[in-house]
Amino acid sequence: MSQRILLAIAVALGLLVIGLGLFWNPGQPETTVSPRGGDFTLQSADGPVSLSAFRGKVVLLYFGYTYCPDICPTSLVRTAAALNLLKPEEASRVVTLLVSVDPERDTLAHLKEYVTFFHPGMVGLTSSQAEVAAVAKQYGAFYAKHQTGSAAGYVVDHTADVYLIGTDGVLKERLPHVATPEQMVAAIRERLSVQ
Amino acid sequence: MMHKISALAVTLLFSAGVFAAAADNVSVQDPYVRLAPPGAPATGAFMVLKNAGDKDVKVVKAENSLSKVTELHTHVNDGGVMKMRPVQSIDIKAKGETVLKPGGLHVMLIDLKAPMQEGNVVPITLTFDDGSSKKVEAKVVRPTAPGMPMDHGKH
Repeated sequence: MSQRILLAIAVALGLLVIGLGLFWNPGQPETTVSPRGGDFTLQSADGPVSLSAFRGKVVLLYFGYTYCPDICPTSLVRTAAALNLLKPEEASRVVTLLVSVDPERDTLAHLKEYVTFFHPGMVGLTSSQAEVAAVAKQYGAFYAKHQTGSAAGYVVDHTADVYLIGTDGVLKERLPHVATPEQMVAAIRERLSVQ
Repeated sequence: MMHKISALAVTLLFSAGVFAAAADNVSVQDPYVRLAPPGAPATGAFMVLKNAGDKDVKVVKAENSLSKVTELHTHVNDGGVMKMRPVQSIDIKAKGETVLKPGGLHVMLIDLKAPMQEGNVVPITLTFDDGSSKKVEAKVVRPTAPGMPMDHGKH
């Protein structure tokens, strides 16, 4: 009897080891998790902003930070170029949100100044570390603070996709970092045409 | 006399071919500095480095007067996660070229001493692994998207 129990324990442990080997992948960012998106409320320089306030509009959501010297400006410049390619009546139905994953250094006033540099319509959002982390998790965005030894202080490694949210507030797709303004415009128009 | 002159010429040719400093073999095309957004403490400088020489060359240091610190950096795209990391040097293969561009290798200007203006010229000194150095004049340009008329990354 006790041998059977031992055997059962051995088999269970064996399965656990195999299972961990197959499925446990701690080095992988959470981009592999299918994101569900959903509502959130974060802070802007002009008060709290909720995603639910933008029903009827297409929302472009990006996670970044203002100390980001290269990737964020590249993404935001592309996004701004896409907005500028839209007709005014289309652009008025598109909202761009930058969520700072570096609330430690990004003040709300600084964020506002930063996003306005790229496009007057962009909105900069952030909140406590915990709240930002919750929103990032909701959307499957990954970020991690990393000390590089650079004089610029720490960098924040992060996914650089643009999350496209439909007029119904549901996450529709992720536009990769390399998406051209034209590709972004096509994706935005597709969502704008759906009421 | 003729003999001496030709000997001198040979020596000069010889030294030019064999002892040419890295700085003499490397040419720089389209250098530019990306205009930093307001309040941003750092920005990148980008350029194309061409090595006409027979030997691989490394850029080991960059300096400029606009920021307190200058570093060599690269980006690694790790499964969609963009990671910026300092690098020790930037290689330029013999008879080859290395492109410094957004999303890849770049010179980082860190801790800007004053807000930069579009059109400013930033002198950047690149130092190579043989100790020679080259001064590059990089113009400050407003960032534009690839494929747009003002794209400086593709020239």
